[in-house]
Amino acid sequence: MIDDRQRVTGQISYVQDLALPSMLIGKILRSPYPHARLLRIETRAAEALRGVAAVLTRNDLLNSPHIDPIYGPQIKDQPVLALDRVRFVGEPVAAVAAEDAETAALALQSIEVDYEELPAVFDPVRAAEEKAPHVHEILHQVRLGTSAYFGLRPVAGTNICHHYRLRQGDLEEGFARADLVVEATFRTPAAQHVAMEPHAVLAAFQEGGKLLVYSPTQSPFNLRDLLAEMFHLPPDRVQVLVPTLGGSYGCKLFPRVEPIAAALAWQAGRPVKIVLDRPEEFVTLNRHPAVITIRLGVTHAGSILAKKVTAYWDTGAYADCGPGVAQKGGFSSVGPYRIPHVQVDSYCVYTNLPPNGAYRGYAVTQVAWASEAMMDEAALALGLDPLEFRLKNILRDGDQFATGEILRDVHFEECLKTAARQIDWQGTGFERTATAEGRLRGKGLSVILKGMTTPSRSEALIEIDEEGVVTLHTASVEIGQGVRTALSQIAALFLGLPYASIRVPDVDTSLTPFDTRTSSSRSTDIMGRAVGLAAQDLRRQLLEIAAPRLKASPQDLTLAGGLIHVVEAPARRLSLQEVVRQAGRGTLKGRGEFANTGGLDPETGRGIASSYWHQSAAGVEVEVDPETGQVWIVGCHAAVNAGRVVNRIAAELQTEGCIVMGLGSALFEEVCFDAGQVINPNLSDYMIPSFLDIPPKLGFTLLEQPGAHPHGLGETALPVIPAAVGNAVADAMGVRIRDLPITPEKVLRALKAPPTGEAGAEEEEP
Amino acid sequence: MKHAISLRVNGILQRLEVEPHHSLLDVLERHCGVRRRETCGIGMCGTCTVLVDGKAMSSCLVLAPLAGGTEVLTIEGLARNGRLDIVQEAFIDEMGFQCGYCTPGMVLAAHSLLRESPAPTTEEIRHYLAGNLCRCGSYEKILAAVHTAARRLAAQSTEVKKK
Repeated sequence: MIDDRQRVTGQISYVQDLALPSMLIGKILRSPYPHARLLRIETRAAEALRGVAAVLTRNDLLNSPHIDPIYGPQIKDQPVLALDRVRFVGEPVAAVAAEDAETAALALQSIEVDYEELPAVFDPVRAAEEKAPHVHEILHQVRLGTSAYFGLRPVAGTNICHHYRLRQGDLEEGFARADLVVEATFRTPAAQHVAMEPHAVLAAFQEGGKLLVYSPTQSPFNLRDLLAEMFHLPPDRVQVLVPTLGGSYGCKLFPRVEPIAAALAWQAGRPVKIVLDRPEEFVTLNRHPAVITIRLGVTHAGSILAKKVTAYWDTGAYADCGPGVAQKGGFSSVGPYRIPHVQVDSYCVYTNLPPNGAYRGYAVTQVAWASEAMMDEAALALGLDPLEFRLKNILRDGDQFATGEILRDVHFEECLKTAARQIDWQGTGFERTATAEGRLRGKGLSVILKGMTTPSRSEALIEIDEEGVVTLHTASVEIGQGVRTALSQIAALFLGLPYASIRVPDVDTSLTPFDTRTSSSRSTDIMGRAVGLAAQDLRRQLLEIAAPRLKASPQDLTLAGGLIHVVEAPARRLSLQEVVRQAGRGTLKGRGEFANTGGLDPETGRGIASSYWHQSAAGVEVEVDPETGQVWIVGCHAAVNAGRVVNRIAAELQTEGCIVMGLGSALFEEVCFDAGQVINPNLSDYMIPSFLDIPPKLGFTLLEQPGAHPHGLGETALPVIPAAVGNAVADAMGVRIRDLPITPEKVLRALKAPPTGEAGAEEEEP
Repeated sequence: MKHAISLRVNGILQRLEVEPHHSLLDVLERHCGVRRRETCGIGMCGTCTVLVDGKAMSSCLVLAPLAGGTEVLTIEGLARNGRLDIVQEAFIDEMGFQCGYCTPGMVLAAHSLLRESPAPTTEEIRHYLAGNLCRCGSYEKILAAVHTAARRLAAQSTEVKKK
């Protein structure tokens, strides 16, 4: 990694390390009710405290012509601070900026707020009903542009803010012709990203009314544009700077704490820094809970004829990117299979819970949990090997997906066969004897497809100055995935330089060229292409300048080791520095831009969902202790299609990281609520995988093909893990758990339950 | 009522007045120029690990007044004269990190382990570092880094013995 030295010496700066002169510390007062009218807010006592510079409430926001206090990346529904009502426990109601954190905290305590409670709803299926309490009274403005690329379809009179529909063929005919129909409902809970670095932001209004924001954001240009709109500024009067992120996994995508910090900075007339504490992280952004019902129609021979999916996505009190999640989850729920008759209804529903948004794997973890379980259930009912059943229906190169698009560069079969081989899959012949300690043994497989943001656009700029220093300007954000290293490697290839010599400055929206965002594992692919084009542009310029001086034509020259030399006569050479100086034009610049195109028809849900599909499979072997309910992961292997690996170690780290995160989701991660309040908002009650949770055999394969383009894989190995674990546990126990996570309590209940083959849904999980 | 304490932080003597309810993490940030690394605030994650008299501790759990009279080493104090120490080098060579937020605590905890147990098994490493969480999931490569550091430290002390 290009800044690895700084990482091991503690020299790397995260946003919370930054400071500006006369900076204040901001803190947020949050609602204790899940749904209530905001009657009265009294802040005079807080304002009078020594050291308090500003107190912000709805009055300040509503009374100012300079602030439009409602924002949202896809639906403009989220206020900076609660205006007429609060919609979730933890919703920001007021904010204080003070000289230090203690004073700010003290000021919060002296703010009085009166609420009038309203009926609340906490389950997406109930919330979708017409009689449910409405979380939002009016349907809000849809935001078009770079964040939303589909037509929003809310259902009037309900909490459904988006209904994604996909239709292919004739579902009734498909089921009529099927020999067997299986149906079940699956649930996934909210999960927390638990990035080790908390959300932090430093905002300041500068001379001339310019807004400066330091934020660990995965979407700098989106943030810039939304803040510009909020403060009635042209976009170039908002400058977003992004140092390295201490993890994110989606929680730092789209505006988060920046609007409050900016509004406080505006109110106080001084820079404001806000750093969230861990309990606040649990009410800021979580992963969408989902309730997914799948009905599958199959023939005796094992062909899938029809698939009906009904999915409810709990997006919380504010939509964030929920509509996009419902859409992506919608088409991904079809799975990597050829199915002639498909009907998907995917509903994004408001509830009175904290907002849910982007989470690594982006809806595919939830749909794979349901869809890949159904594949096993169908195989079992047919008496077929789950591997053979999948292979019989799996999508191959040139096949048409349910959205109508033809798939290219797909390797699902190879991913699945690799995963199966690595866990020594023996199909239905697997010897399911107990271990010496009496543990039940099982194996499970899964295979997924996941889309990539389509359409999107990335630009890159590479400069070389008269000192020969090469700088790559890219707005791809470093989250720990090593993207800036990988991009510098791509540039270095074309320029014949050691990649570590290429400078990659932090993102600065006033200098760095445009990028849609760092998400959906698109950067190595899409930004990589832009960087490659920029490097080739610069290379061409360098060769054209050098050619006459080396008495050759450009095609006789090559770049290597920081030099340009004649291929046939290496002694005839110039350093890059000499070439730039001799050109006499100052710094040379190479530019590249790449956009992937596509999109889905809002009416049919069909079109081009993704310009490239991420593909992976997993094989998991488990042992289940029938006395304690504990599930031991004996072995776990993921196979991911990488195309061409740019930075091998970074690709390994990302894949291992995905597997580990997937195991957490599979076995213990769940944000628990009681009457809308998070009851485990800390790392003692919400556990993430530690060293002790790593299975003895953790492996992965990165599939590459000669001549292939590099593909991203920052998420790809995650969604397959819970599904494969679920299948392995069902294989071991002979009964299926349908709600994540697979806790010991659920295992024991399932083992003791009457053998109906259903272990499923809990009534009201606390 | 503040408490007067003196302690050495990265070799520098600090004489401070500290609040009784503050932690060593607070003291290091406010008085000693150490970047605050805090993930959980309740001693569960190991991000705030520092060495107190050579032993790894969660600095958020050490009450400031009780840190008096100790020698504290933070990640800022490991490298000497710009030269990385063996554990830091091993983490770079094995790429035992991704986002880097847990890395200071992880490196220091590894130091503490290798001091107590110079040739640890994988099991010993996993148990010793079980309190150092890495959400990026770099565990496999961190294990490799600790093994590499152990090997190099052993080789170095063999060298010294030969001399």
